[in-house]
Amino acid sequence: MPMNHLNRRQILTVATGATASSLVLPSSLLHAQPNEGKTLTVALPSNPITIDPINQLNHDAMILGQTVFENLVENDLNGVLRPQLAKALPTISADKKVYTFELRDDVTFQNGGKLTAEDVKYSFDYLLDPAHKAARRSIFTPISGVKALSDTKVEVTLSEPYGPWLYFLTKYMGIFPVGSREKHGDQYFRSSPVGVGTGYGVFEEWKPNDHISFRKNSNYWQKGLPHWDRLVVRMIPEDATRTSYLLTGKADIISAPPPREFTRMKTMQGITGGSRPTLGGCLILYTNNLKPPLDDVNFRKAIACAIDRKTIGEKIYYGLLDPASVPAPPRGWWFNPDADKELTYNMDRAREYLAKSKYPKGAEFDLSIQAEPYLLDTKDAAIVFQSELAKLGIKVNLKVYEFSVLIQQVIHGEHSMAMQMFMSPGEASYLIQNCLTPGRVLSKSSNYNNPELNGLLQQAFAETEQAKLKEIYGKIQMIIARDAPSLYIGFVQASNLWRERVKNFKVNQGLTIRVRDVAV
Amino acid sequence: MGRVLSSIGTLLFVGLALFLLTRAGSGSPARIVLGIDATAQQIAEFDHQHGLDRPVLEQYAVWITDLAHGDFGRSFVTGRDVAGEIVEALPITLAIVLLAFAIAVVFGLAIGVRAALHPGGMFERLTRLGTVAGLSIPAFWLGILLIRFVAVGLRWLPPGGYAPLSAGWGAHLQTTLMPAVSLSIYYIAVLARMTQASLADTLDSDYVRTARALGLARPRIVAYALINALPPVINLAALSFGYMFGWALIIEQVFNVPGLSRALMNAISQRDFMLLQGIVFLFTLIFTAANLCADLINRYLDPRQRAAA
Repeated sequence: MPMNHLNRRQILTVATGATASSLVLPSSLLHAQPNEGKTLTVALPSNPITIDPINQLNHDAMILGQTVFENLVENDLNGVLRPQLAKALPTISADKKVYTFELRDDVTFQNGGKLTAEDVKYSFDYLLDPAHKAARRSIFTPISGVKALSDTKVEVTLSEPYGPWLYFLTKYMGIFPVGSREKHGDQYFRSSPVGVGTGYGVFEEWKPNDHISFRKNSNYWQKGLPHWDRLVVRMIPEDATRTSYLLTGKADIISAPPPREFTRMKTMQGITGGSRPTLGGCLILYTNNLKPPLDDVNFRKAIACAIDRKTIGEKIYYGLLDPASVPAPPRGWWFNPDADKELTYNMDRAREYLAKSKYPKGAEFDLSIQAEPYLLDTKDAAIVFQSELAKLGIKVNLKVYEFSVLIQQVIHGEHSMAMQMFMSPGEASYLIQNCLTPGRVLSKSSNYNNPELNGLLQQAFAETEQAKLKEIYGKIQMIIARDAPSLYIGFVQASNLWRERVKNFKVNQGLTIRVRDVAV
Repeated sequence: MGRVLSSIGTLLFVGLALFLLTRAGSGSPARIVLGIDATAQQIAEFDHQHGLDRPVLEQYAVWITDLAHGDFGRSFVTGRDVAGEIVEALPITLAIVLLAFAIAVVFGLAIGVRAALHPGGMFERLTRLGTVAGLSIPAFWLGILLIRFVAVGLRWLPPGGYAPLSAGWGAHLQTTLMPAVSLSIYYIAVLARMTQASLADTLDSDYVRTARALGLARPRIVAYALINALPPVINLAALSFGYMFGWALIIEQVFNVPGLSRALMNAISQRDFMLLQGIVFLFTLIFTAANLCADLINRYLDPRQRAAA
């Protein structure tokens, strides 16, 4: 028999044998090990690209930056501002332009260095320098200077009154030591920021597309915290897999469970579920006022009145969306119910507005929607929207785009109407400033410019009393209800599911999971 | 030699097509990296720094030259070395695809041969039914079912993740078995059908009838027939191996496996051109190499092809 025949047989025998033997499972396979010990595992749907606090983009992934870095003040789980590295909230000058902070004197960085006012000045200067290309620098540009008055006293001066800046510190900024940027470089802050924050978690490892881990900061200034030894943040984009990780104990807390699963799973044994209305997560319809037929105010109001927000909230999102027709969350202190009523679901009123418009027989336009879900999947809501408008004789063509393409369309004003989940830090002016005033990144989403509204916003920036602010924002919402420059469906609720072994966990209205006080 | 040169030509062409396609999209990586608040000036600076403002053909020439020197460039988004990311993720995808391929070849061939040897029997009818099911069941759906029943219900295997071989065979198999099974079902069906059809044809041929008339033992006849029936199966298996990398894209998402396909999905959604190009180029390389291997094996098995070459 020729040798090559023998070789083929041998090859086949070995290959078959090896494959078959590899399929015989060892007995250790019979039980997958659950997550044990004092390691807390959190599963997120998104894939973060940075830990750097000045370049945070995705609210879900901000858990990473907020574990390592802290700031002068923070928004608590209810969205209330409170001191963090500062001893108290700042004192504000009479002209509302100078903010003075007294720093805590017991805070050290993870590298052992003591926090001083110079570090705070350095961090703000770094953020504000255009050369450093901080992602959210533009929202801090009213800051004209930061001065260290002593080791523990910092003064921030604004070029004009602008109260909202304090609310953006938790999400878009952090304090790091003097000289740390030059010493380590941007890449270090982005992917391995060891020792440069004051937070409760010290960066340990980043395994791309899999997980990022932190160990407990033993010298954390809030003594006794955190209660865990290690934090592992896993990236699991697939909903079914994320929920399976929770059910099998491979994750302790999961973010953004699909609404249907959330309702079902929160009653399962061993699992707890919680939700909380966010103050900044708005399902918005960016409406390009320059493109027919959306150039007619009555036509836009007809659409606004034809949106069955209650059905969308209850049937599509299983109660995880609170209906609102103005850019204010129904549970927020600045919500104006009278303004909201103006554009609430009412088909008779929708027909009246349509009859008064330039397009009394209806019209046709494109609605851009996002392919991949962010917080909530908008596709089903878009279909309900399409069918409701069909009753008015308005034809809506659904166009599906990936996020980065859709947002470019909106930024450049190339869309007619676009539906998207807009997540803001839960501050009253952010959504309005960005979408309905000129010179902002999303100004062309509506192309709206109303001096009356702009003037009221300036008043709000200079005001600090909540009662007066409520009145101002109430007026702003009335203007928006009158002109309908953009349309709103509602505000999302942040929701999480967690295992019974997790103690002291509360859902954050700001969406970002906070694990500082959590115990396992 | 000619076959190798044509493979290199394919790689260069795919590389160029890839470059043109990534640049034709309207999304800029700058928007992802710098955020939606970024100004036009910041975006222009980003594009200049990364050479995105240069003519596309010039960018391509630089990229392909660097690639020839083993330099895949740096990710626009994370700043990490693309070659490093690939080296980290490739073994993971390869482990799943190789296991899936082995399962598909072993079961596909075994089922196909048995069905061809017993035409009209119960096994052949069951095979026909089974292969239709195998071709129809989407791999991602099968994956979700496996997670639900095997991982969540029975708790036999973890629902996802990946353990390298260094963690031990047991742990490695725990994490690769379900993804590999999900990935292989379609290809078991494809290979079983092809093997069955090809072997049945061969068994009907004149030389097999002559061999039977000469009184050769049945196992020997089947062995000869199988060798002659294998070339189309090998071609299909090679194609399947390449396609599996594509399907792994979905499977790795379902099972949360941090492999090459996960990295590719993220590169697409984050407009990370360098990483996207590097991974797709690698997929093309694997696909081309698999086809080249199939040709070489067929030449080894079939003297006619050897002579023609």
